[in-house]
Amino acid sequence: MKKLILFSTLLLVLLSSCIELIDDLTIHNDGSGTFKYILNLSASKIKVNSILALDSIDGKKVPSLNEISEKLNNFALHLKTQPGITNVSMIIKEDDLIVKFSCDFASINDLHNALKAAILYINNGKEIKELNQNWLSWDGKILKRNIPLLSLTISEELKETELDLLKTGSYTSINHFDRPIDHAEKIETKLNPSKTASMLKVNTFDLQNNYSLIENTIYLTPIKNK
Amino acid sequence: MKNSILIVLITTSFTLFAQSELLIPQNAVTVFSINNLNLLQKISMDELVKYDFMEEVHQELFDGSTSEKTLKDAGIDFNQRLNVFYGKNDNYELSGFTFGVKNSMSLFEVFDDFTEIYSKYSGVKQYGSFFNNLIIKDNTALLIRIEPSTESIDAQTDSIWYARGNEYPFGWGLEEFDEEIFDEELFDESDSTNYENEEFTVEEEEENNTLNDDYPEANEDPNEKNYFELRDSVQLELQQALLAELLDDLFIKNNNLLKNDPRFAEQLTHPCEGTFYLDNSRSFEQANGLWYFQTVMPSLYRDIKELYTGNIILGDLILKDKSIDFLVEARYGEKLGSVYQEMNDSKFDKNIAKYIHKGSSAYFTYNVNMRKAYEKAYEVVMPILSSEKNADLAMNVLALELLNELVNKDALFNTYKGSMFGTFNGIKKIKTKKIDFYYDEETFEYGERETDAVEDMPIFTLGFSIERDDIPEIILKNLSRLTSKFEKHDNYWVFQNAILDAAPLYMINKNDLFIFTNDEDLAINHSDGYGADQLPKKISRQIKKNGFMNGYLDISGALNRFPSDLLDERRSEMINSLKGKSGKMYLKSTKTTSKSTNFIMNYEFRGEENSGEHLLDLINTLYIFSK
Repeated sequence: MKKLILFSTLLLVLLSSCIELIDDLTIHNDGSGTFKYILNLSASKIKVNSILALDSIDGKKVPSLNEISEKLNNFALHLKTQPGITNVSMIIKEDDLIVKFSCDFASINDLHNALKAAILYINNGKEIKELNQNWLSWDGKILKRNIPLLSLTISEELKETELDLLKTGSYTSINHFDRPIDHAEKIETKLNPSKTASMLKVNTFDLQNNYSLIENTIYLTPIKNK
Repeated sequence: MKNSILIVLITTSFTLFAQSELLIPQNAVTVFSINNLNLLQKISMDELVKYDFMEEVHQELFDGSTSEKTLKDAGIDFNQRLNVFYGKNDNYELSGFTFGVKNSMSLFEVFDDFTEIYSKYSGVKQYGSFFNNLIIKDNTALLIRIEPSTESIDAQTDSIWYARGNEYPFGWGLEEFDEEIFDEELFDESDSTNYENEEFTVEEEEENNTLNDDYPEANEDPNEKNYFELRDSVQLELQQALLAELLDDLFIKNNNLLKNDPRFAEQLTHPCEGTFYLDNSRSFEQANGLWYFQTVMPSLYRDIKELYTGNIILGDLILKDKSIDFLVEARYGEKLGSVYQEMNDSKFDKNIAKYIHKGSSAYFTYNVNMRKAYEKAYEVVMPILSSEKNADLAMNVLALELLNELVNKDALFNTYKGSMFGTFNGIKKIKTKKIDFYYDEETFEYGERETDAVEDMPIFTLGFSIERDDIPEIILKNLSRLTSKFEKHDNYWVFQNAILDAAPLYMINKNDLFIFTNDEDLAINHSDGYGADQLPKKISRQIKKNGFMNGYLDISGALNRFPSDLLDERRSEMINSLKGKSGKMYLKSTKTTSKSTNFIMNYEFRGEENSGEHLLDLINTLYIFSK
């Protein structure tokens, strides 16, 4: 499974000229919320489908679309069994090469633990050291967040020409809250007019070179007592 | 006078004695011979072993001891040919090469893993290294590897294994299955409980898995071999026996390919840099898939084999200052030749030239007459099939005869006449559709919408000559009723998302041609051809004069831009071996007779590159093709 994850990540990175990644985190005042993740490869259909048609690439077996779908569905199925996780949804649009995942969580810790458990499950229990990274924390007032660092190890193996392909891809991180945001650490963070949502969009090439670009700390205004 | 004759005889004998090709076994089916080895002197061993055709002997050369050495340092006699050969039959596969030796001391600095072994042949020295064998006679050498077939090793091993009174060596599959014992032994509840109480580590699990695998256990008596040890011994013995048989044939019976096949001998007299030999009739005999015919329908096999008699491909490689010519002659027997002759009796369809752009990076044309080929093949093959006394075959013959009577052959062969062409026009940006995620500026909630996108794609066109253009129209019209992806436009049809679920495929059904292309420009703007930008008339006339096959490839324009990651590994290797070169390749065939067809490939290259490297690249391409 780790090979599949590595291959899929490598494939994403290779095709990132037109990759779109969106993570959307909604956190309510009580710490519960919804996590959504979207992978959009529809702008690279020719290249992705031509690679999926191969048996192997650079000596690595190319999984079929069915194999990838099966793994993702297993991931979602296992996530459903995790404490504090509800309404798990995994939509795979094979024609458009879009994967949309979402789940509700009771707390950030539940989400963190559940995602880790589900990834370990589909990796047949084998430890992935990057999973130990704490990419999300929430204390009721401050949200600290990043993206998982699994692909960092892969980026080191990429050739210069392959990294060039990342230049037009994008990673968008969106956060929704019940109350207004006071300020965000990253000045590039965009707030909506009511200040209840933030958006940070970065280029995948820049992100590959500097993962801290998406790292952000969002400070919320205090809860108003009724 | 007598003295003169004597001198000539001595000189001739000496020359023949020194011929490296005398060591090519008669069972070699494919041989590449490079005559002018001086071309290769500057190529380092490290570069040489990177070529695919060297893979058969690479173990020795890859061991690191040859780094920074060139062929010149290897003690090789550059006045003799280098012959790379390959052969296969039911019992074994052989590969290797023969060459001249100038300095054996230097040679063994390269082949430093070889140790001398006893040779029973007078004047012949024998050396071995793992599975490779080096045989030196006078100043010629044969490096050979011979591999017994898996089937023959298994047959011999099984025979000895059971003759020694052993049981089936692979697990308990054939033992009588006792359900009761099986249940008691494998599902003992107390055992299960024990497992639950114990920490069961991965190592223990792996160890248990190993014990359960279907491998025979080592015997208690170390002098008695288990199945696989026995199999290894059998393989080694067979290798030695086969090598001994081959060497007896070479050095006692004095048989070799040069002596036994006059066609090969004649080919070697050609004044050229290299020659190619492929005996298709023996390839046919040794094709693995034909064992069924051989055993179940021996007379049919014999008749079909007869069809292939004399089927051989011979080639000359001629190296000029800035070009390489490869002249190939495909010879065949009279019956098969009569089919080819009828098939290739077809004129070039002048409409084809309209659809090949004058700036095309690569194209081919192929003119055949399928109707005539069918009639002739029916005439040649049906008597062979009909004479076979076999129920299945009789039913097939009946079906074929009925089809021959009932099918409208005029309609069939006017729809698919056989002539075709293809072009590659480089990489173009083509329109596709993608899903865009857009954001509500008030809430940062997002929605999806379909928008236009552009992606890079190699542009191909493939067209077929046709007289019944109404038949594809019937098919397309009905397909468009089944799915909205088929759309009819004024001058073409389009099948949306046909290519890789993303790009449209255009179909042009005009001017007695049915064309498939992913080139939107051709479909929309040039459905009647490229007009002034079509293939120049001079080239069209040339193609018309040539035989059934013509091709052109601008290497820098086509291969360097070709996305080889879209190809399978073998084809990708071939493309990569030619990448980085600049030049043009032309292919044409001559008129087909009942005995042979000639093909001429001319490769013109530019730049300062080493011509020897070009030659090797070309040989490598041919090797990959013939593998």
